[in-house]
Amino acid sequence: MIVDDSRVGRAMLVKNLQRTNFEVVAQAKNAAEAVELYAAYHPAVVTMDMNLPDADGIECSRRILSFDKDAKIVMISAMKDATLVSRGRDAGIAAFLQKPINTNDLIDTLMILCQNKVGKVAVLRESYAKPFARALQQGLFSLIGVHCETSIELCDQNFLTVSGVAVIIGLTGYPTGRAIVYMEEKTVQAFSRILLDVGPDEKIRDVEAADSIEESANIIVGRGVSNINDVFRDKEIRMTPPGTICGKDIHIASPKLTTFHIAAETRIGDIHMNVGFAEGE
Amino acid sequence: MDAKLVNPFVEAFETVMPQIGFAPPKRLKVSVQHKNAVSKGVSVIVGFTKQIRGNVVYNMDENTAKFIASTMMMGMPVESFDAMAQSAISEMSNMLTANAATNLAGLGLEVDISTPSLSIGENFQVKITDSQYLTVDMDLGGHVVELDIAVEQGQG
Repeated sequence: MIVDDSRVGRAMLVKNLQRTNFEVVAQAKNAAEAVELYAAYHPAVVTMDMNLPDADGIECSRRILSFDKDAKIVMISAMKDATLVSRGRDAGIAAFLQKPINTNDLIDTLMILCQNKVGKVAVLRESYAKPFARALQQGLFSLIGVHCETSIELCDQNFLTVSGVAVIIGLTGYPTGRAIVYMEEKTVQAFSRILLDVGPDEKIRDVEAADSIEESANIIVGRGVSNINDVFRDKEIRMTPPGTICGKDIHIASPKLTTFHIAAETRIGDIHMNVGFAEGE
Repeated sequence: MDAKLVNPFVEAFETVMPQIGFAPPKRLKVSVQHKNAVSKGVSVIVGFTKQIRGNVVYNMDENTAKFIASTMMMGMPVESFDAMAQSAISEMSNMLTANAATNLAGLGLEVDISTPSLSIGENFQVKITDSQYLTVDMDLGGHVVELDIAVEQGQG
């Protein structure tokens, strides 16, 4: 359901939503109508404009939440300051977006709010794993100049096997989890030679090679986290310092995580990333 | 390396382990390390960040891991270090680090912890910091659990 007093505002949202699987079931132009239509349709999610002729968006949300405490409301306003967000949060508003709305942000937000309906895995894949896949692709190009395509797969086993180097970076905030960048020994060597500009005849020490993977992984994961934080400004994800593991046939298990394998096929070998997120909040 | 920042991790181990069925652990040895840690077989890394940043590793051999898993599961025999046992060790690491985070909050330092990553293998190396870190060997019912703790000042 869309709540907005301006016809243009409503039309823009309808247009945005037409490109998604969300269907607009009702449109309200003031608070009284919003309450009435909400009761009639019980929509999965409501977009709420801040400025309404008969009450502000927060007051309107409060009225809806008073008879359905599980109502999912996204506040959309021209201004998004701390006072507004904290007042809105107190009222029970779930998310805040600023005008003009970017379609991707809107979809991501609606997906998150409706995750019980669309499935948590779909949300994690679209909103959290994909930004990391993009970061891997862009990061590899900017660091070592290789072009690659990436693929994302949901992992059904809860461990991965590494021979070579694996860099583990913890993620805190919402959701918590961890990202692991790993590759085989020969790819480690080739990667670090390009990164450090070392010729084929020169020696590169294992420590230097592992350090260059660590530094690169930190940059790639950082880019992925920024991609996510750019969309969800209220739930900042932070990275812990990297932990780097070197050896043969190491199993890395992450019980209770939903994990995705992101693979990048490059001319120097496959470069892998595994991102895992804790289930639930 | 500031001992004040390392103690919360050791105290967490001393506090939490008796709560989940173990005899009170004892500190065996404390040392400052410069080189990568070598895994004893099972190593769990938990990262943390916010006002201080770092990693803690719970490093033990597989027998110790099985002993811990078995004790946590009320003495249920653990023949192999399977998914359920791994889950128990992971959960223990999470509880210990969360408790350490609470201790740090008591010192006015807020930290958020990541999910644990449990690595299993032979003779692999674990690097948790570019500078030095502290290793504390803890005796746990005749078994040894090594805590490797690296702490650095956060960016706020």
